[in-house]
Amino acid sequence: MNTITIITAVILALATPIIGGLLAGVDRKLTAKMQERIGPPLIQPFYDVLKLWGKNPMISNNLQPILAFGYLGFAILAAGMVTFQQDLLLVLFIMGIADICLTVAAVSTKSPYSYLGGRREFLAMLSYEPVMLLVYVAIFLVTGSFTIKGIYAYGQPLLMVLPLALVALMFVLVIEMKKSPYDVSGSGHAHQELVRGVFTEFSGYTMALIELGHWTKLATTLMIFSLFWAPNPVIGGVISLTMFFLALVVDNIYPRLTWQKMLTTTWSVGFTLVLLNLAALVFGGVI
Amino acid sequence: MNPETLVAINVGLPVISALALLVLNDKRVRTAIVSLSALVLISSSALLYQAGGVMFSPEHIYEQAVVALDFVLLAYFLYAGIKAKSPQVIALGLAQIIPAAYFEFVVKGTHVENIIMVDSLSILLTLIVNIVGSVIIIYALSYMEEHEHHLHLDKSRQSRFFFYLMLLLGAMNGMVYSNSLYWLYFFWEVTTLCCYELIRHDMTEEAKENSILALWMGLVGGVGFVAAMFVGYNAVHSIALTELMAAPQALMLAFGLIALAAFTKAAQFPWHGWLLGAMVAPTPVSALLHSSTMVNAGIYMLLRIAPAIQGTPLSTVIAFGGAFTFLITAVLAIRQKVSKRVLAYSTIGNLGLITLCIGLNTALSYSAAVALLVFHSVAKGLLFMGAGVIENKIGSRNIEDWEGVLGRLPLTSTVMIAGMVSMFLPPFGMLLGKWVAVDAIASSPLYLGLPLIIMVVLGSAATTFYYAKWIGYMIVAPNSLAKSKDEQLETPYKLSMVGLLIVDVVISLGAALVFNNIVVPVIKNVYPVVITTPNLSIDLGFTAFPVFALWGGSLAVILIGSWLAKSKGGVLSPPYLGGTNVDNETFKTTADSEVKLSLSWIFLGGSIDEAQYEKVALILGALVTVALMLVEVI
Amino acid sequence: MHYDCGSCNGCDIEILAALTPKFDVERFGIVNIGDPKQADVLLVTGAVNYRNKEVLKNLYEQMPAPKMVIAIGTCACTGGVFHNCPNVLGGIDKVIPVDVYIPGCAVRPEQIIDAVVLALNKLSGAVKVEEDSE
Repeated sequence: MNTITIITAVILALATPIIGGLLAGVDRKLTAKMQERIGPPLIQPFYDVLKLWGKNPMISNNLQPILAFGYLGFAILAAGMVTFQQDLLLVLFIMGIADICLTVAAVSTKSPYSYLGGRREFLAMLSYEPVMLLVYVAIFLVTGSFTIKGIYAYGQPLLMVLPLALVALMFVLVIEMKKSPYDVSGSGHAHQELVRGVFTEFSGYTMALIELGHWTKLATTLMIFSLFWAPNPVIGGVISLTMFFLALVVDNIYPRLTWQKMLTTTWSVGFTLVLLNLAALVFGGVI
Repeated sequence: MNPETLVAINVGLPVISALALLVLNDKRVRTAIVSLSALVLISSSALLYQAGGVMFSPEHIYEQAVVALDFVLLAYFLYAGIKAKSPQVIALGLAQIIPAAYFEFVVKGTHVENIIMVDSLSILLTLIVNIVGSVIIIYALSYMEEHEHHLHLDKSRQSRFFFYLMLLLGAMNGMVYSNSLYWLYFFWEVTTLCCYELIRHDMTEEAKENSILALWMGLVGGVGFVAAMFVGYNAVHSIALTELMAAPQALMLAFGLIALAAFTKAAQFPWHGWLLGAMVAPTPVSALLHSSTMVNAGIYMLLRIAPAIQGTPLSTVIAFGGAFTFLITAVLAIRQKVSKRVLAYSTIGNLGLITLCIGLNTALSYSAAVALLVFHSVAKGLLFMGAGVIENKIGSRNIEDWEGVLGRLPLTSTVMIAGMVSMFLPPFGMLLGKWVAVDAIASSPLYLGLPLIIMVVLGSAATTFYYAKWIGYMIVAPNSLAKSKDEQLETPYKLSMVGLLIVDVVISLGAALVFNNIVVPVIKNVYPVVITTPNLSIDLGFTAFPVFALWGGSLAVILIGSWLAKSKGGVLSPPYLGGTNVDNETFKTTADSEVKLSLSWIFLGGSIDEAQYEKVALILGALVTVALMLVEVI
Repeated sequence: MHYDCGSCNGCDIEILAALTPKFDVERFGIVNIGDPKQADVLLVTGAVNYRNKEVLKNLYEQMPAPKMVIAIGTCACTGGVFHNCPNVLGGIDKVIPVDVYIPGCAVRPEQIIDAVVLALNKLSGAVKVEEDSE
């Protein structure tokens, strides 16, 4: 890799929080429009983070800030693995560390809402990890590699061969964005049930770090989805943004489901879709 | 030093030490003998690594000794079975002693040209046994003091304990050097003996029951070996492993029987009950036998016979046996409330993953299996040691009492958390091994790869679940982590735990070196080497694991996070309890009563019915066992 | 963050209305958060009594500075029609410092939005606070 690609990759990785923040702003604006409101300005999330950073620091225990930064830091590391076109399995595992930092930080404060959110976050991770892994295995079976480099080398857009896998990834996106129907662990709207769930005990700069980390994960996940049309990044971007938009629509339509439903529907529908897709490919002679 | 001498040291020194430890009951003498043996064994394993492989036969007197000792051992097992009124032990003991006698005295088939064979696989096992084993025996010095103190024993029984611990190291080494199936079987039964005696050490009813369970399951393996000897001798007129491996087709039944024995030793379904029951024993037993050393005997057997059964249905059955075990134990571990049971299920599960990789029997999967073996032994030994210390200090085996233990026992908890992180997170070696395993499974033919990968991804997610939840609850801190005075660790504890942690981190950091110098030598004689290590990363050709980038990134995140936490700091605030806080852990509720906050862990009791899963496990295990036998004759 | 300190819920319903699309307080970037640790503005309705004064104080302390308190409705400002009741202490300024008072029974959503904006401007120093004579 020459210097220019390396620098681009690093800058892109460090820019993922900002990209994610813009997406979060679009999220709030579009949701408002769907509800026939005006909604906040597009860069409101950045105002929010700056405000949070400036508040008097308040922490629950000494490890919380380190773990909060861990959430952001490992998310950026995962973004870096994506921009450097590394192995997708490793990207998943590193995003897993980020999630664990968040959940462990939440559970480490002895607060009922945090505990509840933390337990549900563990269950959310349990729900989406296997489906994502299976999709990556499907990508491997098609392209012969787990790396993003391999997807680019494959030539054909993945969407043509693995359309159902992308639908399965929709479930993963909804869980990751913490949107209905799967916002059981830390929703923005579930005050009476959860207060802020897994985010309850974060405040000030630790909350700012969590917000940035959340945006980074969102941006990284959408970057991975854009790989489904690798030859043309613009079309890939359109695909990711369409999935993002669909997630918003689903959020505004659906109520929140229980964690049992989240687990069973994600696994059953996700696995079935990927396996059907693979069966079709086997019969079609592609793999 | 020549390899022959080193072999003698590795097998003989533990026996001599064991006898010395049995006879001499003084604490300081014991510490001296254990420390000296540890130094010698660690050095001799390193020297053996340098010296390389060899094949020879010891003096004839040793052959006679082994035969004699074997019958004494079997007689002792029969005696134990009669005393405990266990029909299984008696039946299985007879099923071994009679055919073995026939084989020795009538068929006269036990002589083999080169009884001792040391190759890269043996050297790998020696390194694991001697290094991890010695560290654990050092740990046991402090542990048994505390243990006997808790039990208020008037007369110390430690000499017996250390005798069997040390004997096990010798038996393990002897086993991996044996080319003769008879010698291998003898050393195997010695490990069964040590297991039986160590599990029943505390002499409670529970301990005695579980030791009998372990004994008869171990004896099933022994019967398997005796039967394999008959089959092998019948086919190729020899019980030398080298001969058996050279003519696999005629001997599939023998390999099936050996695989059965391996499954019993490695506690794969349906033979997992004994390992779970063995958790009643003092923790050094769990650490040494049931996580990092003795169960590796089963894995060693599978690794040994794998090249000969490549591509056969037997190999496939082994793979599925491991896969079922991996998935179901991962799910059951979520339910466990006793800390050592969680670790036991985790051990069985990871051994299942290794078994899966061996059964898959490709170059890549065999590499994954060897790598996983190395990393698992170190990490698991570490975890059991830490669990033992924490149990002793907080006086409870219930995992829910571990809440907030980081504040009370900072060093031990840090070691435990680091160990747990090294079990399932990058950039550590276990994750690397799992990553290679996933790559290997995905690369196999679809009819195999797809069901196996589904089981692995589900099991892997469940593994993350129970380890992450454990770590989270360990660091609960209602406010600050006050340095507690509770933690006063004796030197053997500190030395063994911190030492093994350093080994754990170093081998993960230097995964490329581990791979090139330890894993590849084992593989390259029998499989093509498909993993390279350019720039000290792990490269599989179609994908790569950038070891240093990940370590660098992770350390950067931790350092920057710590700096940020220190520079910004913050006021410690109580948790949000709807405004009703009295202090950090109490809130005011109806009638102004003050209630202490009590939050339980997550065990998914409503969703996972343990009894049902156990039943499924036994059924699947029975199917696998039947398949292991039938698949050679169909 | 909204806390009902003993209100008849009239003002609370109006606060809810302020969040609806018709009045849309979110266009100023404001959302309703149930967690004091992440809130900047505390909206309180109802009069303070001996039971909930501890809770109110606790919530106020769990909010990180800089923060604003808005007393919504006459009961929150002075105790309203309940100010003489035996268990009532009076307006919330008996317990915590208040930044903006909105009298009214019930307060209209437009007034609530106005008050929140006033509070934010006060926070950023855009509005000068006159030295209070009483």
